[in-house]
Amino acid sequence: MTSRRDFLKVTGATGTGLILGLYLEAKPRPAAAAKAEFHPNAFLAVRPDGTVRITVPKTEMGQGVRTALPLVVAEEMDLDWSKIEVVTAQPGPDFKSMQTGGSTSVSSTWMPLRKAGAAAREMLKAAAAAKWRIGVDQCRTEKGFVLGTGGKKLGYGDLVEAAAKLPVPKEPILKKTSDFHLLGKRTPRFDGPAIVTGKAVFGLDVRRPGQRFAAMLRCPVPGGQPYSWDAWKAMKVVGVAGVVQVPTGLAVIADSTWAAFKGREALAATTTWEEGAAKNFNSAALEAKMRKALTGLADEVRKEGDAEKALAAAARRIEAEYSFPFQAHATVEPMNATAQVGQDSAEIWTGTQSPNKAQERAAAAIGLKPEQVKVNVALLGGGFGRRLGTDFSTEAAQVAHAAGGRGPVQVVWDREEDFRHDLFHPATLHRMRAGLNATGTLSAWCHRIAGPAVLRSWMGGKKLATQASVEANGALDIPYNIPTLKVDFAEVEAPMPLGWWRGIEIVPNVFARECFLDEVAHALRKDPLQLRLDLLGDRGLVKFGVEGADIRRLKKVLEVAADKAGWGHKHDAGHGLGLACHAYDGRTYAAAVAEVSVEKGQLRIHKVTCAVDCGFVVNPSGLEAQVEGGIAFGLSALFTQITWEKGRTVQTGFEHFPLLRMADMPSIEVHVVPSDEAPSGIGEPPVPLAIPAALNAAFAATGKRIRRLPLGSDSFK
Amino acid sequence: MPDFQLTVNGRLYRVEAKADTPLLWILRDTLGLTGTKFGCGQGVCGSCTVHLDGKAVKSCQTSIKDAVGHAILTVEGLSKDGSHPVQKAWLAEDVAQCGYCQPGMIMTAVALLKHKAHPTDGDIDEAFADHVCRCGTYPRIRKAVKRAAGGVK
Repeated sequence: MTSRRDFLKVTGATGTGLILGLYLEAKPRPAAAAKAEFHPNAFLAVRPDGTVRITVPKTEMGQGVRTALPLVVAEEMDLDWSKIEVVTAQPGPDFKSMQTGGSTSVSSTWMPLRKAGAAAREMLKAAAAAKWRIGVDQCRTEKGFVLGTGGKKLGYGDLVEAAAKLPVPKEPILKKTSDFHLLGKRTPRFDGPAIVTGKAVFGLDVRRPGQRFAAMLRCPVPGGQPYSWDAWKAMKVVGVAGVVQVPTGLAVIADSTWAAFKGREALAATTTWEEGAAKNFNSAALEAKMRKALTGLADEVRKEGDAEKALAAAARRIEAEYSFPFQAHATVEPMNATAQVGQDSAEIWTGTQSPNKAQERAAAAIGLKPEQVKVNVALLGGGFGRRLGTDFSTEAAQVAHAAGGRGPVQVVWDREEDFRHDLFHPATLHRMRAGLNATGTLSAWCHRIAGPAVLRSWMGGKKLATQASVEANGALDIPYNIPTLKVDFAEVEAPMPLGWWRGIEIVPNVFARECFLDEVAHALRKDPLQLRLDLLGDRGLVKFGVEGADIRRLKKVLEVAADKAGWGHKHDAGHGLGLACHAYDGRTYAAAVAEVSVEKGQLRIHKVTCAVDCGFVVNPSGLEAQVEGGIAFGLSALFTQITWEKGRTVQTGFEHFPLLRMADMPSIEVHVVPSDEAPSGIGEPPVPLAIPAALNAAFAATGKRIRRLPLGSDSFK
Repeated sequence: MPDFQLTVNGRLYRVEAKADTPLLWILRDTLGLTGTKFGCGQGVCGSCTVHLDGKAVKSCQTSIKDAVGHAILTVEGLSKDGSHPVQKAWLAEDVAQCGYCQPGMIMTAVALLKHKAHPTDGDIDEAFADHVCRCGTYPRIRKAVKRAAGGVK
């Protein structure tokens, strides 16, 4: 498997540039087919002028891949960071798996990128050595130059022709961590200058010659279809060019976004709907079903001993129900895509986390082959899992296709559509039960999750064998050493499109787990930190769930976070401290301590202290940004929810979805536990800690245990 | 359709549009100034913030008719090369994550500093109350505003 992933190949040995392609799960392109240095399958290209183009095989949504991944190449290759150019790859034979999610961009490309950079460096050095007729070991590299004995110096650009003729070393020698001069140092975001000057191109900023704009009139109930409408009403609006029907609704095409919106408004007044199967869906009825599913049959995903028997035998039992609502992604840039469709080709411009799927599905929808559809990945104005979906890019291709292929069309979703037609993170209920024995220890733990399954929705209604395990992520990999354990998932179907959300199911599952553990600590009259440390115990690598985890690393981050937050010391009157920890997929270890107070019934989060161990840190500035942002994302979900009435979301805008704002943002302290392990992810691991840390802190401050989200005006009454 | 004369970033434009068209769409679709972003169209996310005579306004809530006769400044007009003190502070603090909301944030920061050279935390909270950053860059925005305040006495 690694041989395919790590494949390196030189292409473009034409004398104009050295092109080193990295093929992530892709076959090598025959050398004969290679052309010039700008070959699209090339991963890195050195130009004769010494500039180096690095092609990033993942998409940028704010997590920093267009900085972090080029840094890895630049480090091994000894590049001058000011002379690199960064481009995002396009899906195709050379980039078959650009999917960006699951906090895996750095970990999955780390070794291949290092080898790509190191191989290029070795070849450039060998080329210089041959030219100077000295030994390779008498040469070294520095900031885009090869340096030899006696002051000899050649720029990489001067060596491209000679280097391109050399064989690619299969196992190039990688740098020692102690020799790194770029990795591990703070590097500002590559796209920063473009962002602050307004030049950065997000999906909505794509402007093509002859481009028109489209607004979609969609049924307010997902899955519904227009039944009757009068397109002439829209056509009368100045600037409107036409109305076409596509599977997701009616598209009003115009010469500006505003004209398209106004045309849609006129069209809406004439339209009646067949609202479809979901038209009676509402939150209260779903919750009743979920509550019923808290008892009875379920798919068991973790079993240690006989937890039911231990519960029955326990000296004391505690039980609680936790509730987490539906959530929206609420990226600030609404969904959008621009498409141009010709007879036997199409081109799409969009911010997507799934470029390959976007290509395949758009092609299928308009009767083309994937290779006939070119996908250009723009910057994403937030992703958070929403843009793993391909609904918006497929739709744009369908609109451009239905419009008769006359020039590019940009389909612009507005804020209400973005809320109403999200791929939702579903609600869950959690039945938590614990058995305590007479000696004051925890003897049994049962976690039942009831709710809709994201994976089923994602698979088009199909239930995969892994479904329950996926939905129980964060619950089934509970890291604590408890004599008996049972974790199960009871599916309750919902007719709404569901999708992955930053932190996925780990967020509600860890919320229930870490808050209920606090309840156990309280019941046992133990310090919540001490109870966790005791339950983690003196264990090393432990196998559970899919991945298992290194308990020592988890314990360490917990201790560091508690220490830095002043756990056990005095803090301001009325303030409480709460903590939470988790081993994300057994790869990234994170702990958080929140300091909060409740003033006039309102929760105020003052500070969150985090400790993380995600292996070697590529860019500390990027890592800290991800922790700050991850905590903010989690904290927002204390206050936000999506509810359903008559198949429609009640919330249609930011005014109904109170995301954290400047004044609500706590100060965040990030402590990195140094590690020599290979890097793992950091985008999602902090997210699940925010809610339980804050609510455990609220309990410490007020004695009030919150088990139901979102927080309301009466939560602390 | 009526004709309007607009002054954007010091340049005069003649635009044909309906009088109620939001300035946001004139900037983005007619003039091609896409640095000003569409986030909600309801005046609650701040992504579309521009200046009218130095004051921060939501361009999605400002009609072209109401923009006539005022000096309109967008993020593209702050500097040619990112050298405005606020832009420099943004880079120095490495503020942006996805970056989508940042032009609006920057325009609000510039307007704030114009009226209050040394804003307090409370001033910053208030100035950015109508802005959303889903990536959670707020702590760095706060630092960048303070850094810029130190630089432009």
